[in-house]
Amino acid sequence: MDLKALTQLLGEKVKTDPVTLTAFSTDATPEFKATPEAVVFAESRDDVVKLIQFANENKVPVITRGAGSNLAAATVPITGGIILVMTKLNRILEISKSEMLAVVEPAVTNVNLDNAAAEYGLMYPPDPGSKTVSTIGGNIATCAGGLRGLKYGVTRNYVLGLEVVLGTGEVINTGSRMVKDVAGYDITRLLVGSEGTLGVITKATVALRPRPTISKYGVAYFKTLADASVAVDAIVGAGILPATLEFLDQVCINAVEKFAAIGLDTSAGALLLFGEDGDSDDVEIKTQQMADICANPAGVISVTRAKNVVEADQLLFARRCALPALAREASLAVSEDICVPRPLLAETVAKIAEISKARQLKIGVFGHAGDGNLHPKVLADINDPAEVARLHAALDDIFNLALDMGGTITGEHGVGIAKLPYLERKVGKEQMYLFRRIKSAFDPNGILNPGKTGS
Amino acid sequence: MNQNLPFTPKLLERCISCGYCLPACPTYVITQEEISSPRGRINLMRAVQIGELSIDQTLEQSSYCLGCRACESVCPAGVEYGTLLEEWRSAAWQGKNRNLILKLLLFAVNQSWRVRLLGIFNPRNFQKSKWNEYSIMLGCFERGLFPNVSAAAQKNLSINVNGNQGCCGALHAHNGELARGKEMAKKLGEQLPGKIITTSGGCAAHLASVIGKDRVFEYSEVLFNQVDLLKPVLINGEKARVALQDSCHLRHGLQIYQQPRAILKQIADFVELPGASDCCGAAGTYAILRARDSKKVFDKKAKEIEKLNLDFIISVNPGCTRQLATQLKRRKIKTKVMHIAEFVALSNSINA
Repeated sequence: MDLKALTQLLGEKVKTDPVTLTAFSTDATPEFKATPEAVVFAESRDDVVKLIQFANENKVPVITRGAGSNLAAATVPITGGIILVMTKLNRILEISKSEMLAVVEPAVTNVNLDNAAAEYGLMYPPDPGSKTVSTIGGNIATCAGGLRGLKYGVTRNYVLGLEVVLGTGEVINTGSRMVKDVAGYDITRLLVGSEGTLGVITKATVALRPRPTISKYGVAYFKTLADASVAVDAIVGAGILPATLEFLDQVCINAVEKFAAIGLDTSAGALLLFGEDGDSDDVEIKTQQMADICANPAGVISVTRAKNVVEADQLLFARRCALPALAREASLAVSEDICVPRPLLAETVAKIAEISKARQLKIGVFGHAGDGNLHPKVLADINDPAEVARLHAALDDIFNLALDMGGTITGEHGVGIAKLPYLERKVGKEQMYLFRRIKSAFDPNGILNPGKTGS
Repeated sequence: MNQNLPFTPKLLERCISCGYCLPACPTYVITQEEISSPRGRINLMRAVQIGELSIDQTLEQSSYCLGCRACESVCPAGVEYGTLLEEWRSAAWQGKNRNLILKLLLFAVNQSWRVRLLGIFNPRNFQKSKWNEYSIMLGCFERGLFPNVSAAAQKNLSINVNGNQGCCGALHAHNGELARGKEMAKKLGEQLPGKIITTSGGCAAHLASVIGKDRVFEYSEVLFNQVDLLKPVLINGEKARVALQDSCHLRHGLQIYQQPRAILKQIADFVELPGASDCCGAAGTYAILRARDSKKVFDKKAKEIEKLNLDFIISVNPGCTRQLATQLKRRKIKTKVMHIAEFVALSNSINA
């Protein structure tokens, strides 16, 4: 690559020093590392256009990156090339109360958008565990979910329109500010979850929702995660679609308690966090209903209701920290992201426990139980090659299990590099070919995040 | 384990690069660039550890980091970033990489007699009294710059003082001389047997990390036990309006932040400063070695302090007192700056 020409084009926004390159050689995925040839900090859409035109002419890979908090190595530059960093494009351009929408630059974090919406009595519902750091652009690129998915849906339900730079350098505007708009193919939906392989998002119009004024939470402890899963199925089976239905197994409860120290019952085999939000007495009724349902299944240890907002926030915070907190338990901790149909949840978690036993590895399981979305985190000693090999075997078991259950290899983290080997089994050969044809329509020279989905 | 490795491998392994630290890091907030975030810096340390980068290449980031440890408080994985930074600077800031001003500063406090010299105009410096349960630590630069702070603390808590004491070594530990810093802390622990009270958050954290937290107490932590006895500080008959600037190492290193607030709530009209736990930019020697960056870090805080319309902004660490006073004065903001011990002395209450 002609780095000099690139620097002439974009000046000091281009970094090629080894220190910067090193800092961008990884994202939040363990075990994946590759050093880029250059890093570009975009400060405007025009910077992105210039860079993509340059990369397209010179056939250089461009890997777009937000906060770098993704867990599937989607932003690791395995083919070399340029890391396009969006973090400086972090302004909220507009919040329209009457239209209930926001227009944002891609690197606005979830928490900043949600806080800004709160000033208008609104909220931005998708709230991944990493919401303090993850960006809306990254959320869209991976179709991030979060803790409120069951009731509110995930990122794809909130993207109204996008400004996108294609692999050719052309700029398109998809969708609009309206809820209804069926003029042409739904390119917006296609871009959601495309992991930077179809275009670079430079602006997003996202829907907001009225902010609930009341929220209530409770926590139930069970002997096993399978017992908790039975309660989850019973809750939704009773016609309740709560805002929060999250669980943690004992490995996770212990790790979280070590960090947050909020008095969780570390002797229990599983913790189920349930909660509802809204604006009426219905919130109280639903929360109590959930507490009552939890008190029934076999294996229940205790059910308590959070006394106040502080207590509820602590519980949510604890759940949110489960993923990184598990790093306390081992020097290598790989987090996965499978989804299974909810009625099969209990069977799935029981089978993960079997995998843990067979592979002689500790696996901490937590997840968005209501969505059937599990995050098994496999733990190993990074300095023990045999154990690391067993870890990979366990991950393979887990993906196969998910597919055997009619589930999926990723619910919200994305495919990236980590799960690419399993993609074909999930979607089939014909769809893989279709992915490639779609990719070449957006990015004929294959410069956008190559070696990943659609390549 | 290879003894020559610059970093303790277990400490480096702990980080899983989740990035939860990014929004907590003052330098990342300013630059929005990965290399000036804790996660990015740990990546640099890892590259140094395996020889991909030379230690000299990482010099700039080792010094641009404030060392405030705000990242530790938000790190669910429990990465001991403060210790990693000390190891980093101990490896990087050697030989030609050692700043001349820094050399002078560390030289000045390296020996007990020089520390005593810093407070030569302070008569208490030569006082010697019988040991009782607590000894007060006079500090090094605090002894010279703010002698009234330990005097006030001594009065508030009626504790005795032993003039023959050196520096705790925090300055050394944070500035590339970790081994010497630990040695000095041990020595101070011998000079002041029993429990030690300090009016400096930064010193408290360092001393506690070497001689054990059970022997080291920060002033407000002790005074907190008698908070009910304190009387208000009045200005024209009204409680003084105050806010607190946390000491980074006191808060993020020792998790002490509720006690000074409880004291201030008791004796004043306390308001929470937004970003009270964010570094003020003093950061030990940072305000001297990187004056321009230190000023930049303070910009946001200046606006926040001005907006609150305070009588006093209270500090719990001498470096913060100096930074707040200098930076507010430079911006012509009239809010007075005072250490919590001096402020409590204004209430003229307990033991009076």
